[in-house]
Amino acid sequence: MPLTPYLLAASVSVLAGLDRTAAFQFMISRPIVAAPLTGWLLGSPLVGLQVGAMVELLWLGRLPIGAAIPPDDTQVAVGATALAIGMGEFLGLGGMALTLLAVLVALPIGKMGSYFERFARQRNGRLLQQAEAAVAEGRLEAIDRLHLQGLIHFSLASLATYGVILLVGSLVLYLAGPLLIEPVGEAAGWLRLIFVLVGTGVILGTVNVSRAMTLFAASFTTAFLLLWLR
Amino acid sequence: MESPRLPKALIARVLVRSFFLQASWNFERLQSLGSLYAIVPALRFLYRGEALTLACQRHLEYFNTHPFMASPVLGTLLALEEKSCRGEKTYLGVQEFRRMIMAPYAAVGDALFWGGLRPAAAAVALLFALRESLWAPVVFLLMFNLPHLFFRFFGLVQGYVQGLKIVEVIQGRRLPDLAIRFKEATVVLLGGACAALAFFTTRAEALPAGWGLVAAPLVILLGKLAHRGISTLLLVLAAATVVLALDRIF
Amino acid sequence: MGIVLTRIDNRLIHGQVLEAWVPSIRANCIVVANDQVAGGTFQRVLMETAVPRGIRVKIVALEELRSTLESAELNACRTLLLFASAADALQAHRLGVNFDQLNLGNMHGGEGKLRLSCTIALDPEDIEHLRRIEEEGVRISSQCIPSDRQQDWRKLIRDQGK
Repeated sequence: MPLTPYLLAASVSVLAGLDRTAAFQFMISRPIVAAPLTGWLLGSPLVGLQVGAMVELLWLGRLPIGAAIPPDDTQVAVGATALAIGMGEFLGLGGMALTLLAVLVALPIGKMGSYFERFARQRNGRLLQQAEAAVAEGRLEAIDRLHLQGLIHFSLASLATYGVILLVGSLVLYLAGPLLIEPVGEAAGWLRLIFVLVGTGVILGTVNVSRAMTLFAASFTTAFLLLWLR
Repeated sequence: MESPRLPKALIARVLVRSFFLQASWNFERLQSLGSLYAIVPALRFLYRGEALTLACQRHLEYFNTHPFMASPVLGTLLALEEKSCRGEKTYLGVQEFRRMIMAPYAAVGDALFWGGLRPAAAAVALLFALRESLWAPVVFLLMFNLPHLFFRFFGLVQGYVQGLKIVEVIQGRRLPDLAIRFKEATVVLLGGACAALAFFTTRAEALPAGWGLVAAPLVILLGKLAHRGISTLLLVLAAATVVLALDRIF
Repeated sequence: MGIVLTRIDNRLIHGQVLEAWVPSIRANCIVVANDQVAGGTFQRVLMETAVPRGIRVKIVALEELRSTLESAELNACRTLLLFASAADALQAHRLGVNFDQLNLGNMHGGEGKLRLSCTIALDPEDIEHLRRIEEEGVRISSQCIPSDRQQDWRKLIRDQGK
């Protein structure tokens, strides 16, 4: 297995994973940023950009509200990019086809990410209990330490999701990659299109704008005709 | 009795700490420990002994709001704590204010930042990404973070300066309506992005360009399915399978 | 009356309701039935301004709920009805507010509460209230946001008992 790129990308996995909920929220965690960043670190930013463009829209409308945990598209983006670049070197394959395959393999595992994240948040419950006890006893210096320990839980959850994506992904790509690479390669253009269309569809179907469909149809038609009738 | 005022450096510390508000997010009380973590330097400055313990306990109560909207809330809480330490009465107490403000502010922040600004910035960035321009992530980060950081900074400062009046200031901005504008813009931008991608894909595959128009009803169909509650993952995998099958046949 | 969703959510109007439920059920009106909020001006105004202009908001006391829902103004609306607690929902149902489904959204933990899922914690009193509501013919299920799976509340309690 291609260890060096996987380990390098792990740093993005943790950084972007923390950005998701635990700290900052600069949105480094969005696929459109996390994937190119991973790619840049591994020497192929454009692979990351392609991953980012495909994954970005899919769960964009799933908001991190209250106790609802959206699927972990951050780790999908980082993991798929690392897979596409790492396995590409390892298998001697490359191009859009491998990138697409990596994304398709990583996506279902991303959904599992919310289980790891739920586990991290449950572990944080104990920190709260300990903090309550500490405050009651007047040990205020413990507050900072206990609170920031949550960062470790969130990091581990991110790494776990990332690790599972890499393990399962490498295995699947190693076994099925050479077989699937050709059909996926031939349909690559259409597959890229369908990712964006599904993403847009999901946003239209779940956004609270009245007449979202009308607005979409109008702007689609305008743009399309402008290009077509040039 | 002395009348303490919080030094600027301390308010800056609260601001920095507010970026870690959700580090210990948990199902029991969500951001409660985080809000205490953010404000505790100020509490230690204002109170001693038993009063300090009580102050910490009231900031350890259930708390949850949007992480950026927490900024004006923390600012106002600083002002309220400062006043209550001086023995001044305020219209609302610290606990009352905390309890009342979190849900409505969360609603505003969720709509504006998660539902509005983030998708709009992503849609613009997507246009760059489809042209294979590495400016995409840069544009996204700038579009999102300039308003974000502005809001965090001025939210905290204004919350502290204005106290409870900050509520009126934020209300006057009609932020939920602004969020709707962002969402409408997102829909329009995505329409353009889909059109361009559909047009260039059909052309690259040497089909008559008119076929690209099929993308629009397809998106609307996918939207209806998503609205019915069909999961995104299922939609993507099913659509990809159909595309692969069609590509084999033709 | 056009109630499209009845929900217990201790946070009342917040992001999950506005960003996820409103578009999902195409509601154009939100009714909050809560004595405390209806009585306090500050909190009521705060809550009203969190809602964008296209959606009507009514915040009323439990006693006035039925007449509000039956008013001509709301009759034509697709209404999302919110309660803060099981006790409120029971009282409203007894006062003649008809709903046949009840959604449990957020009922957060506290002293002596039994945690049934990530977002729902009940004490024996809550369970008793819900049981009574169910006896009156209401189907009760828990679902935090539309993309979560809907779960029968009795199943939650049973799973906890194991």
